[in-house]
Amino acid sequence: MKTRNAFQHEEVFVQFIREQKERFYLLAYSYTKNEQDALDVVQDSIQKAMLSLDRLENVDYMKSWFYKIVVRTAIDFLRKHKRLQVTDDDTLQYLTPAQEDVYENVDLEHALDELPQMYREVVILHYFEDLKLADVANILDIKLSTAKSRLYKALKLLKIQLEDVKGESAHG
Amino acid sequence: MDKKLQDLEKQYTEVSIPKELDFVVERALKQGRKKRKNRAPQWLLGSAAAAILFTASLNVSPAMARTLSDIPVVGSVVKVLTWTEYEVAEDNYDANIKVPSIENLDNQDLANTLNDKYRAEGKALYDEFITEVGDLKANGIGGHLGVDSGFEIKTDNDQILSIGRYVVNTVGSSSTVMEYDTIDKENEILITLPMLFKDKHYIEAISENIKEQMRTQIAESNQDKVYWVKGAGMADEDLMEEFTAIQPDQQFYISDKGKLVISFDKYEVAPGFMGVVEFEIPTDVLKEDLVSTKYIH
Repeated sequence: MKTRNAFQHEEVFVQFIREQKERFYLLAYSYTKNEQDALDVVQDSIQKAMLSLDRLENVDYMKSWFYKIVVRTAIDFLRKHKRLQVTDDDTLQYLTPAQEDVYENVDLEHALDELPQMYREVVILHYFEDLKLADVANILDIKLSTAKSRLYKALKLLKIQLEDVKGESAHG
Repeated sequence: MDKKLQDLEKQYTEVSIPKELDFVVERALKQGRKKRKNRAPQWLLGSAAAAILFTASLNVSPAMARTLSDIPVVGSVVKVLTWTEYEVAEDNYDANIKVPSIENLDNQDLANTLNDKYRAEGKALYDEFITEVGDLKANGIGGHLGVDSGFEIKTDNDQILSIGRYVVNTVGSSSTVMEYDTIDKENEILITLPMLFKDKHYIEAISENIKEQMRTQIAESNQDKVYWVKGAGMADEDLMEEFTAIQPDQQFYISDKGKLVISFDKYEVAPGFMGVVEFEIPTDVLKEDLVSTKYIH
């Protein structure tokens, strides 16, 4: 039973990865800001996922399960490499906790890049990757309430009207 | 969606996708699949036919000419030599595969078994590389591809010869696999992990000690080091591939000082950036389980 699941999972997984690889790359890139490193993260994530595929109980969870692996791998990667790299201003900004006054007037062109990582990832996963806020919270290992408040804060920093926030109810 | 959000999404998706992505993904899927299958390690997969063909091609092709370079091994009879070396050096593709050969063992069966295995695996690695380069070229996909394989003598004293062979695959990032053979030079036998111990209890004793060492290292490095182990501050659901126990025939070698060293491949118990990791097991932990203190003391 378990083995059969694993094989079915493998097929679904391979197809899922092939179809969505560009999305994973973009997500990885949003952390690493570097082509080679993003490729590295994608590769590491796929290998890790293949190894623990047997433990995925339900293929329905595959999307958020795999995004979680990508996010963790990317963060591990940054943690490892922040000591080795010359940290430029941009990197510093997204590794530094938010400072409200600095981000009060972001210009839209670099708005996303300038958003601190903790806010940027919520926006990316919820709006661009179309994940429910509950899944976003799970992926980032934070409470649903924290995910919500980060999303609101992010929109505020981006000066986006709160009325436009997709409600949780809309997502079921 | 809000206009600004749409603009932001556009920025997000505007990042150019490197052409290597396809290849990196396919390669990772392939390696991942292989790893899943290889969980029961395949020992001695060398087939005689492959070995004969290989030897024949060695003699025919000057590119594969036998390059016997001595590794200086002072005062011991048994020697490890480079049997052959495959080299490919093109712009984006490079391979360097050194195949070891153990010489001067009286026990010919043992020598042949090991050497056949080394040669078959070296040849397979080279063939696989050539096929992949061919695929890449045929599909017009650029990108860098490299394989580096060789061996290192971990221990060579009067009693023990431990030889480690590594394979590093490079596609953007790299993966590393390490495999060891340890020989008792006096009795000319291959030492396996299970035969060192009275019963299976060693698995638990070693595994527990490794977990302890992992936790200590994580704490001492201020979380810079990461192992997938419970009880080191990582939430349970974050442990992608939690380390619970070593394989009964986990890769190992015996150090010059007679200590048991357990080795894990890249990705086996830790994220990729940790690379291949090794743990020396204190002999105190093992003494109840050891058959004798001849090799390990």
